[in-house]
Amino acid sequence: MSLLRVENVTKRFGGLVAVDNVTMEIAHGEMMAIVGPNGAGKTTLFNLINGVFFADEGKIWFEDVDVTHYPAYKRAHMGIGRTFQISRPFASATVQENIAIGAMFGAAGSETNVDQAMEMADHYIGLIGLSSHRDKLAGGLTPIEKKMMEIARALAMKPRLLLMDEAMAGMNPKDIDKMVDFIKRIRSEEGIAIVALVEHIMRAVAGLAERVLVMHQGAKLVDEPTKIALSDPRVIEVYLGVPPGEADA
Amino acid sequence: MILEQLAGNLFQGVVLGTVYGMATMGLSLIFGVLKVVNVGHGAFIMVGAFTSFAVFEYLGLSPVFAIPVAFGIGMALGMIFYYSSIRRLLKGPELASLLATFSFGVILEEGVKFLFTSDFRGFNWDLGKIDMGFTVLPYAKVAACLGSVIIAVLLYLWFNKTRAGMAMRSVVEDGVGARVCGVNVDWEYALSFSLGIGLTVASGVLLTMFVSVGINPYMGGEYTLKAFVVAVLGGLASPYGAFFGGLVFGLLENGSYTLFAQIPGLEPFAMTRFFSFLILLLILLLRPTGLLKAK
Amino acid sequence: MKGASRYLPSIPVLLAYAALFVFGLLNPGRWQLVAQLAFYCALGQAFNLFMGMTGYVDFGYVAFLGIGTYGMAISISELADKGLGLGVIVIGLILSVVFAVLLSLAVGAVALRLRGAYFAIATIGVNEGFRYLIEGARIWNGSEGIIFSRQLREMVGREAAMSLSTFWADVMVFGVAVIATVLTIVYMRGKIGYALAALRMDEDAAKVMGINVTRFKIIAFITSAALAGLLGATAWALKLTYVFPADVFGIHYTVEAIIIVLLGGAGTLLGPIVGGLIYGVSKYYLAVYLPGFQLLVFAPVIIVVIVLFPEGTVGMIKRKLIGTALEKYIL
Ligand SMILES: Nc1ncnc2c1ncn2[C@@H]1O[C@H](COP(=O)(O)OP(=O)(O)OP(=O)(O)O)[C@@H](O)[C@H]1O
Ligand SMILES: [Mg+2]
Repeated sequence: MSLLRVENVTKRFGGLVAVDNVTMEIAHGEMMAIVGPNGAGKTTLFNLINGVFFADEGKIWFEDVDVTHYPAYKRAHMGIGRTFQISRPFASATVQENIAIGAMFGAAGSETNVDQAMEMADHYIGLIGLSSHRDKLAGGLTPIEKKMMEIARALAMKPRLLLMDEAMAGMNPKDIDKMVDFIKRIRSEEGIAIVALVEHIMRAVAGLAERVLVMHQGAKLVDEPTKIALSDPRVIEVYLGVPPGEADA
Repeated sequence: MILEQLAGNLFQGVVLGTVYGMATMGLSLIFGVLKVVNVGHGAFIMVGAFTSFAVFEYLGLSPVFAIPVAFGIGMALGMIFYYSSIRRLLKGPELASLLATFSFGVILEEGVKFLFTSDFRGFNWDLGKIDMGFTVLPYAKVAACLGSVIIAVLLYLWFNKTRAGMAMRSVVEDGVGARVCGVNVDWEYALSFSLGIGLTVASGVLLTMFVSVGINPYMGGEYTLKAFVVAVLGGLASPYGAFFGGLVFGLLENGSYTLFAQIPGLEPFAMTRFFSFLILLLILLLRPTGLLKAK
Repeated sequence: MKGASRYLPSIPVLLAYAALFVFGLLNPGRWQLVAQLAFYCALGQAFNLFMGMTGYVDFGYVAFLGIGTYGMAISISELADKGLGLGVIVIGLILSVVFAVLLSLAVGAVALRLRGAYFAIATIGVNEGFRYLIEGARIWNGSEGIIFSRQLREMVGREAAMSLSTFWADVMVFGVAVIATVLTIVYMRGKIGYALAALRMDEDAAKVMGINVTRFKIIAFITSAALAGLLGATAWALKLTYVFPADVFGIHYTVEAIIIVLLGGAGTLLGPIVGGLIYGVSKYYLAVYLPGFQLLVFAPVIIVVIVLFPEGTVGMIKRKLIGTALEKYIL
């Protein structure tokens, strides 16, 4: 039994097919990376999985429940957590409050009161190393701190599946290595499946994922164990086909 | 008998609806370009009504001359409001611009009340009537209807044939793209805001031809509601959709009046006003993108 | 902040109401002003519970006060001769809440599905729409309204009726203000407060965090409407002993509510009472110098506040007090 099953899902924006008939599965506790050039449809696929958008065609199953038409908040209750490519902190709330909101309304939310949520928030703040910023307004954090805070906020939701959108964009190699270790650790400690979108950071992909799904122009190009995927000629072509200027955008 | 009455009222509905359409184009233009809802819309219409009153009573000129005057006043008010506040609120929460445009409306109402008192004032631009057999139509209303069509056509030409108009359209269609192409988006915002207000104030001159009880500083509230119904019927962001919405609403309003008048125990006038509110809720519930657009 | 200490910020607000009340008792000549101030504070407190906490403006808010006024008017005019005594007033209060809640459910069912601007558009006609329904379908006596001063006198006697509308109605308005304050802090410090704060800052992100935004908005909307209903029943129905649809659905009460909340600081606990006092007192003096044109002064003030001081008075005070011992009393 897989944790998440995406079946022939398509999403269009006007004439643009952002996600084109994609089928994929994620097992419990699995670690997977989705890569692809800009505009490949990775973020849109995330939005379909967690209910920010609804699929035009196809079905999405989570823990064998058909969630295709479930609103985002219901999917969060079922255990889908996520971070955003462009951070979306609750800017005028403190770091602690931001993370506590995840704890209060996520998968374990119905059994968590405000005081407990604040304690959980403190735990996750320690985990991501932001203790000194606990009472700061989230809007005032640096971009990387915001990303970390979003991870903590998503973890506080007690998800079974964590979708991380470009968690490492803008980081230097040292930070990327630290992040990779961190993600591995939370995965084994909390036992959650993780799907990370990593645009061009092969270093992270190789260190992190057991399986790589390559997207190109909305469609699934390759879905293989990491080693095989990274040596697939089509993947290399997709990457080399992208001019470097665009790749950094 | 009742059919003849209905036909007459529906015909009047088309005439009035054309003016409603024109009176809503400014609202839709502002929303289309700036994504700002002018909650004080009706107050600007009221300013137009008082402009035509002043031009007619104090200057003794035909209301036709009031149209350019009202348009100019509207453009000026638009610029003032844009540069004093709207511009700084565009990036903030939606709440801020809503409250600001709402306050503009209150300022105008209270300002006009200060100048003219809150008494009802009427004036009569009598050009005679045309008897069409099933209904009688004053020429003043015909003129207002024609004026609306002419203004709409001018706006269309401006958008499609002039550089300035096309620049503004490019902002509506793709704000970022327009910026890249060297369009000064801030200026386009200022221009569309004041153009929208100018059109609205000018429409007040035309709408006055249909006001039977006289004008007063608080007359606008009614038109704010009507303009929202019209705008939402036409899809909110499109000035030409608004024109279509105006026609639909003019027909609905006059048609429903005729029907309510047949039901004993109802006040048809008040019921019609209630009915327009009901239409607004129904469209927002069922087709928030307007009648024209597919979902 | 944990346990009972999180409710500390209600102390200054409740003390302020107590001080205002005592001031009124000691200065009977000023009671009318005090009652007016209490009305504005209560109005702000009730309005803030929705607008301040969610960031949505309900331009048709006055409709809830209007229908609450009818709730009281109907129970007095219908039940005065049933020998229930003051029980009729209690029934009137209950009815006003029931009416306001029903109307808010009807409006909310449509409007709260809509985002931002569309919400505002859906609400802007509610007060007028409802007024014209009452007049058009001749519900509750249509445009003639309901005058129930005679029934009230017959029910409780001339003396009691008099003190009811000149004193006890105002005391009840204080009561509404206090209830609104307590509900506000309970909400703010509870899960709903965090949910509303999250959706106010970023509604889409809030949904992704598992927040059922519609549900929390509806709770805040209904609560705010119910308080407005009580306010209509007390500050308008009991005080005036009549109700006319053209009066109780007037949009300028919504304008006043907006001014009060913005002056004080939207989404704060202390804001509405600060805003209510500033607005009430300045309106009182403006009435002397510029009779009838208070709004001409206040409307530009709203714009100045929105553009330059969006946090309102309390927001600014709060920022000044960060790190001091007083911080935990201000919310
Ligand atoms: N809300 C939207 N409305 C219209 N088009 C959209 C929307 N969201 C995404 N798109 C389009 O869908 C396509 C896929 O975008 P998506 O953000 O999913 O790509 P991505 O793989 O995440 O790229 P990136 O590396 O830039 O994050 C793009 O062409 C984008 O412009
Ligand atoms: Mg992306």
